[in-house]
Amino acid sequence: MKKRSLLGNFALYGTVTAVCVVLLFPIYWMFLTALSPRTQLRSYPPNFWPRDPQWNVFSDLLAAQPFGLWMWNTIMVATATMILSLTIGVLAAYALSRHRLRGGQPLGLFILTSKMLPATLLVIPLFAIFKSLGLVGSLWSVVIAQATLIVPFATWMLKGYFDTIPAELEQAALVDGCSPLGALFRIVLPVASPGLAATALYAFVISWSDFLYARTFLATSESKWTLNVGIATLKGEFVTDWNTIMAASLMAAVPIIGVYLFLERYLVGGLSAGAEK
Amino acid sequence: MATIDFKNVQKRYGQFKAIHDFNLHVGEGELCVFVGPSGCGKSTILKMLAGLEETTSGSIEIGGRDVTDLGPGKRDIAMVFQNYALYPHMSVRSNIGFGLKMRGVPKADIDKAVNEAAEILELTDYLDRRPRALSGGQRQRVALGRAIVREPSAFLMDEPLSNLDAKLRTQTRSEIVKLQKRLGVTTIYVTHDQVEALTMATRIVVMRGGVIQQVGSPDELFSQPANLFVAGFIGSPGMNFFRGPVEIENGKAFTRFGEQRIPLGQVPQKLTAKEAIFGIRPEHLQVGETGVPVTLSLVESLGTEKILHFATPKGQETDAIETEIVSDEDARDKKTMLARVIDDRRYHDGETIRIALPEGKVHIFDTVTHEAIV
Ligand SMILES: Nc1ncnc2c1ncn2[C@@H]1O[C@H](COP(=O)(O)OP(=O)(O)OP(=O)(O)O)[C@@H](O)[C@H]1O
Ligand SMILES: [Mg+2]
Repeated sequence: MKKRSLLGNFALYGTVTAVCVVLLFPIYWMFLTALSPRTQLRSYPPNFWPRDPQWNVFSDLLAAQPFGLWMWNTIMVATATMILSLTIGVLAAYALSRHRLRGGQPLGLFILTSKMLPATLLVIPLFAIFKSLGLVGSLWSVVIAQATLIVPFATWMLKGYFDTIPAELEQAALVDGCSPLGALFRIVLPVASPGLAATALYAFVISWSDFLYARTFLATSESKWTLNVGIATLKGEFVTDWNTIMAASLMAAVPIIGVYLFLERYLVGGLSAGAEK
Repeated sequence: MATIDFKNVQKRYGQFKAIHDFNLHVGEGELCVFVGPSGCGKSTILKMLAGLEETTSGSIEIGGRDVTDLGPGKRDIAMVFQNYALYPHMSVRSNIGFGLKMRGVPKADIDKAVNEAAEILELTDYLDRRPRALSGGQRQRVALGRAIVREPSAFLMDEPLSNLDAKLRTQTRSEIVKLQKRLGVTTIYVTHDQVEALTMATRIVVMRGGVIQQVGSPDELFSQPANLFVAGFIGSPGMNFFRGPVEIENGKAFTRFGEQRIPLGQVPQKLTAKEAIFGIRPEHLQVGETGVPVTLSLVESLGTEKILHFATPKGQETDAIETEIVSDEDARDKKTMLARVIDDRRYHDGETIRIALPEGKVHIFDTVTHEAIV
């Protein structure tokens, strides 16, 4: 690698710092809001550190609301959505990438069009479908609804990744005695692990941040609420307890960071380097 | 170890006929090289043999067993790919042992076999590395290791050396030949490099446009090419061609080269036309006191070896159709002929020398079918 000049270093770290500040400021502000006594929330000029941090906001929240249940429901939904979307996405993407299907090209594009419809548009027909299936109020309704949004994009992400893997790798595996499915699981998927990790993260984050579907399908079954639905109910009609909402939102973000840290090592690309000359 | 038979094998991709009626018998322990220009169907025929492509019609037998409808894993063959196709997420050890593992060989036996193969290929020190941490030559040897460890009945190699630099290629070439001799495994080796074919093969199959042009030993292809294409393809620099009249006198045939009459010896049976295309290899042209005077347009000197360029005599050039099918690596200008000489004399551009065409070294080809006339 070329050695950077001092000026280049300054520019690089300056830019990185600026980007971090912009990205992290809202999170810092959430933190600040959560810890500030309610009276100080709207003080001007704003305090950049509360004089009297209210650390008990977190324990109060856990005592007052079924936060653990919401968290559990959300984890279940996000994990199931991720697994479902990835399973369908992998098989569809592999077929599109490897087999010259009759009409494969238009089919591939068609898959994407469903992604172009706004999610709000799909809520009503989906509700009707889930109602007749008796799924309204079940976590599965949210899982399936979210998967309909995630699968198209996941398929395209994965297809792009599979396209970069030389067909000879699988052919070598076939000659070595693998079945076609064996070649997929033993060779293609491990080699595609950065792509799989990125897609999994995408599915998990989309599912985690969903409010619309969960709110629509789960509204009446309180025991099935996800974090976003639960947190929304904290907003009262007359008083809104911003400290609690911010504290809840902060805690809701923690698992995402955990998932990211877990997947990060797979996200690093370049694994397929060395397959060829 | 096994014989390989192709019987009337054809392959179509949609309307495009990639392989026309391919028939070939490869004997036990042979190193058979398929050679031909790019796109002639070499990889296609190899993939059909491996079971990676379906045949459109015809049958393929390995060791007398019809494998036409068997999957690649059931054919007991090993393949070395042009880009090696090493599994990037596995160590060299696992790469080499993968085929055995898939066949349910016990772990201890796999280890033993992998270590042996690694020893033969001098890979012992690299067994725990990933492919990406190896040099091109080492990767190539891992690919070979993956093939030999299974002790298959045939090796299929698709241009395994084309990614190596010139020096390593020559070296690996002889290593593959030695390895093949030592293991005695029937091998089909695909290349578009005729030098590789000539140096490695016990038998060469020259292909063009999905059709076998000639099958024979390197010597046979070199000294008795079956047609214009083979004549031009085999040998470097390629054969010189010129058009000339056919004259027959007292049972002897003659042609003309420039001003001179060239004796061709006994009249070949099939020689009936008034005109033919004649070929002579650059190394068979003799520079001397007698012969046709020609003016050198270029002298390439490689030390004692020199390549002398001079113009084909007026009116005797071969035309576009013939030029097109004669594939020469350096896409030679067909109005130019070459002579290859090894001597200490100095030649310079513009000099006039005398060139003789020795009897028995001139090949005769039909102007229409391009078949050799013998
Ligand atoms: N999947 C395919 N679909 C359509 N045509 C194909 C396909 N695979 C190969 N072909 C065609 O079949 C012909 C033979 O291809 P093949 O790969 O066997 O050539 P080759 O002799 O191996 O050439 P090279 O030396 O460049 O590797 C080519 O004209 C190619 O365009
Ligand atoms: Mg090829």
